[in-house]
Amino acid sequence: MKNNIRVERAIKNITQADLAEAVSVSRQTINTIESNKYVPSTILAMKIARVFGKPVEEVFTLEDSD
Amino acid sequence: MKTRFLFPYWFRYLGLACFLVHIPIMLLFKKYHDMDSPDPGLFSGSHVFFIFTTLMVTIGLFLIAFSKEKIEDEQIMMLRRDSLQWAVYFNYIVLIVVLIFTEHMEIGHIMLLNMWTLLLFFIIRFQWAIIRNNWSAKREG
Repeated sequence: MKNNIRVERAIKNITQADLAEAVSVSRQTINTIESNKYVPSTILAMKIARVFGKPVEEVFTLEDSD
Repeated sequence: MKTRFLFPYWFRYLGLACFLVHIPIMLLFKKYHDMDSPDPGLFSGSHVFFIFTTLMVTIGLFLIAFSKEKIEDEQIMMLRRDSLQWAVYFNYIVLIVVLIFTEHMEIGHIMLLNMWTLLLFFIIRFQWAIIRNNWSAKREG
């Protein structure tokens, strides 16, 4: 699964730490999600999308391999 | 995040204390008692001491292994699950290898060590996974 959290963060001008705090996870978790090393749970994905005020599909997209 | 079956964060220090305190106790006991010829019988002095120190190490390792992290989130849960699985695999491989290459008189000793090795392997693997995770987060900023 791919995501454009990094872009969305830049648009909203918030840091990884800010986003981490908003969805109550560690900064490392946001970092690994951004670099596609960790796939978040549905709950966390929805929380992240809510922070950006967008539907989940706009932040996270399936890849062919999924 | 809601977590089940985990102790509060500060319990790790309690566990570490249990583990560390047993070392001087053990050394002192060894100095004043002859460990090679323990008192015979159940619940004799040396048997109670053996139970006490063994439990202290076990409880200590147990608390270190299963305390919450400072920020307990779903990725930490995943690392914990992976590490636990890895530790069980690794422990059984070691156990099987040791079983093959030791004579059966020593099996009691191996079983006793096995009480701790699973927890030890888990703690090492889990802490390593966290450190590695933090490194990569730092590197990518």
